[in-house]
Amino acid sequence: MSPSAEATVGSDGPRQKGKATPDSLKVGCIAQVVKDGQPRRAEILSIKETKSGRQFYCNFDNFNKRLDEWVPVARIDFDQDVEWPNPEKDKQKDAKAKKTAVVPKKAPSKKAQKKVAKRDRELSVASDGQTPHPWTEFTESQRNKGDDADDKVNASLEIGGGTPDMGPDEMELDEDETPAGAAKKEREERAPSFSRVEEIEKLRTSGSMTQNPAEISRIRNISKVEFGRYVLFPWYFSPYPECFNQEDTIYIDEFCLSYFGDLKSFARHRQKCTLQHPPGNEIYRDEAVSFFEIDGRRQRTWCRNLCLISKMFLDHKTLYYDVDPFLFYVMTKRDQFGNHLIGYFSKEKESTDGYNVACILTLPQYQRQGYGRLLIQFSYELSKIEGKLGSPEKPLSDLGLLSYRQYWSENIVDLLLTNSERDERVTIEYIATQLSMTTQDVEHTLQALRMQVYHKGEHKIVVPEKLIKQREKSKTKQKRLIDPDRIQWKPPVFTASNRTWGW
Amino acid sequence: MATRKVRYKKLNIKTPLPVLREDQIDPSEYESLTNDGQIATGVEQAEENEYHLQAVLRGAGVAADKEIPVPPPQESVLTYEELYSRPFEETHTYIRFSQTVEECIGCMYDMTEDDEVFLKSYNQKRPPASQLPDDDFEKIMEVFEDTAYIRAPFASVDQTVVPYDEMLHGLHDLDRAKIMPHAKDIYEYWKARRQAVSNKPLHPTLKFEMHQESDEMDPYVCFRRREVRQTRKTRARDVQSADKLKRLRKELEEGRQLVMAALHRENLKADMLKIDRAIFEQRAQLKAQKIRLGIKTDDDDLINAKPQKRKAPEVPAIQRPPPPSQLRAPVRPDGRSNETDLAQLTERHLEKETELRIEIEKKVRNHNDWNRNHVDLTRGPLSPVSGPRSDLSFRPATTQYLMTPPASVSSASLEEPTPMELDNTPNPGPVFKFRGVAQDAESMANPPGYRRRVGRLNRLWIDRRGLASPPRDVDGSSSDRWKYDQSSDDEEDTPVYEVDPFDTRALKFRASVPLPIWMSRPVRPIVGIPPPFPPNHPQQPHLHPQHQQMQRGRDRARGPSPGSNRTFVL
Repeated sequence: MSPSAEATVGSDGPRQKGKATPDSLKVGCIAQVVKDGQPRRAEILSIKETKSGRQFYCNFDNFNKRLDEWVPVARIDFDQDVEWPNPEKDKQKDAKAKKTAVVPKKAPSKKAQKKVAKRDRELSVASDGQTPHPWTEFTESQRNKGDDADDKVNASLEIGGGTPDMGPDEMELDEDETPAGAAKKEREERAPSFSRVEEIEKLRTSGSMTQNPAEISRIRNISKVEFGRYVLFPWYFSPYPECFNQEDTIYIDEFCLSYFGDLKSFARHRQKCTLQHPPGNEIYRDEAVSFFEIDGRRQRTWCRNLCLISKMFLDHKTLYYDVDPFLFYVMTKRDQFGNHLIGYFSKEKESTDGYNVACILTLPQYQRQGYGRLLIQFSYELSKIEGKLGSPEKPLSDLGLLSYRQYWSENIVDLLLTNSERDERVTIEYIATQLSMTTQDVEHTLQALRMQVYHKGEHKIVVPEKLIKQREKSKTKQKRLIDPDRIQWKPPVFTASNRTWGW
Repeated sequence: MATRKVRYKKLNIKTPLPVLREDQIDPSEYESLTNDGQIATGVEQAEENEYHLQAVLRGAGVAADKEIPVPPPQESVLTYEELYSRPFEETHTYIRFSQTVEECIGCMYDMTEDDEVFLKSYNQKRPPASQLPDDDFEKIMEVFEDTAYIRAPFASVDQTVVPYDEMLHGLHDLDRAKIMPHAKDIYEYWKARRQAVSNKPLHPTLKFEMHQESDEMDPYVCFRRREVRQTRKTRARDVQSADKLKRLRKELEEGRQLVMAALHRENLKADMLKIDRAIFEQRAQLKAQKIRLGIKTDDDDLINAKPQKRKAPEVPAIQRPPPPSQLRAPVRPDGRSNETDLAQLTERHLEKETELRIEIEKKVRNHNDWNRNHVDLTRGPLSPVSGPRSDLSFRPATTQYLMTPPASVSSASLEEPTPMELDNTPNPGPVFKFRGVAQDAESMANPPGYRRRVGRLNRLWIDRRGLASPPRDVDGSSSDRWKYDQSSDDEEDTPVYEVDPFDTRALKFRASVPLPIWMSRPVRPIVGIPPPFPPNHPQQPHLHPQHQQMQRGRDRARGPSPGSNRTFVL
């Protein structure tokens, strides 16, 4: 029952296995790499030379990408067989990468659109390959400056053998849009085909999350961020200026969110910048936090900067399109220096899918302190004022799912217990309207907590004992909550011209 | 779970569900509706099975100690208070703010470490007074960057370097005295730095759309513009828009037709005016010819023959409701104006009058029938009102008799009618017209009349007509009286008195006079009062001495005339 039993890396078919040396190991290989003291299957995504030796950028089997890291040769177990990228595949990759006429011959049945998508993916991979920026690990501080040139050469060399593991069987699957990297048959079978063109079209009209793995750049480009009082270690790729890849550290102004690759520039900027809170209207304030509402269209620079920051911590966020159709609700903490950004959620001005949250993020330095719950609660309080049922945009991240599950279960259990005390029956719809949640979310939560039962020919809700205990325990703890009476907000109304997607 | 296969009823979201606690129900009697596999998590499927997530989900609600590991943040080693030195004052009310980031920063160029090195060495060569401070350096660099961006937005592609001269314009806004000495040097430095970064902006910038093909998959290209939303193409939508276009086209075509028709109409009108004019001129010629040739006819030639009145066949056309989208009076197809069809006012009046007359006659007949066996002793249809009216405010304007004519009437023969006589007249006649003067043969021909009317302020007026004025005596003294009434300044203008030339007195007088001057020489065409004195009478009042002298002078010039008579014939 171990979740890692199902291999997610390199499961696209039988692979050639064999022994490898540090020199012969190439991008696309799958090797046993030590992670947290245990050996784990890992795919090599990039290779670079550092002063301390060759390093490999590894994506660990069934681990989230935020745990990807550069590992030295010492952590790779060369006693075990290495799975090599599929050779035929590589040949085709070669051909495609060089953009020869072989492509149509190799895949004659493919529609033009698919071809484009394929080729695009190649480009993406290539560009990834060119920017394998040292994400120096947060645990071991093995910084390597000055090796960038080497890296680049190495990476571009790797492109040839580049994008690994696309089994020949995949090529028969016309609809397959799997990333060059961790393609999984099993996943493809489950996932509905979702072409890139469709994805882009969907993103153009609504939403901010991508479900297309091809959209996600696989290698982290920023290794370290100075942000206010904290140093953050980004989890994912974010499209900051390419030259920042060379920088050891980038500096972000915690108020205006401007980014600098140079400490002097940052210091100079700090002398001039007068912003001390998010550039919008405060719509909520209590002892601990404030909320600001910011229109993406009016505060384009600030909102873009915010998105760039959040992209470092949200894998499925896309910055493909501009910020105009979104409102940003930013939570801050006040002190004598200003309103410090804790987290935010964005929300479409008009969501066709009834989402009340597009992206939601608590900055890492404020995580696990109950702020995420506040953000979620605030989003539902806004939905209550609007008189709508809301749901967060999918896909959720793992952390997002846990946060939402927790919020939902707590609130539903709370509501159910008050009702059960009064001996009242409840409908799913009643729960949904009381909490401004969609009925699907209510049902999913009930099912996930095994509360929805079938007993003697009747549907019933059973509140498990452990949840009641948990509720009593959490009641004793001082919890942060949003006080709805302090919200000074009216649902903004946008004219048709404000809502147009173009500029 | 396969042990119990129960087909569940589908749960409706509106079904009321009992809420129970675990101890209120026997766990062996129920089972959870679904297992984990079927619950949609909302997480991307590829990541759903990730080790750490599953670990936490499996222990859902049990233990909070299981967490998803993330790279932990660290405390910064930079001195926060140095970088963020501005104190923040909390407002009492909620903050309202709309300035943009750019507006909050000011100068957008931030000095880099390289700039700092350069500026230090640059300033070292100069006396302290003429050194360039950091702020001014940044201002100059900002101007260069901005100008370059405006003048050569694709500098990184085409490698255009904006020359120094073009930069000057932007520098004008700055403090020139302080900045201009440095501008050229800084420009060279700026240029060198731009070259070093292949002419890209010095500040790291995001990658925006440049070329669609290459941008598409470049992960660094972000914040693309959204094209204007295209509505999904469906057959229904196609038909809809096609219909819309067709209708639009039809309406435009109709509008055009309307304009064309209006133009045609106006042209016709102009033609008609021209023709009318031509006809009139022809007629005028005809008239002239007739006059020349002495043909005498009435003037009908000059008037258009009245158009034959036709029974309007297009009456129903008028009654037809006008086309809904047109706000326009219907145009008659035959071009005749609507007026010909309209009833003339006079005709209407005539009609009404005859109707009225018939009505009255009918009423009279009816009245007579009604009165057939009734003997009316009062003779008149109405008996006169007797006695004072009860209404005190009644104005006795309808009194049947009038005041006596003014006493100034000198005629002795005037016979005043008494009110009683008037009342007794068998036929009082018109109320305001009666005879009240002497009835001699002369006055019978043109009998005098009175009319009473009430004017403003209830003044009572009596108008009279046909009353003989008292005869004027026209003796010299009295006629002379008018002479000085003339206000005319013209001394020459002698007053002219009109006198009946056939008056016997005058005739008698004239007969006694030899031949009066005015008969042989009609100086005054209008016959004035003949001078009642002999021509040579020295006291002739009408001839001024001057005049007489002139006449005599003339006589002398002609020499002795053969006859004295002839001297009067000039």
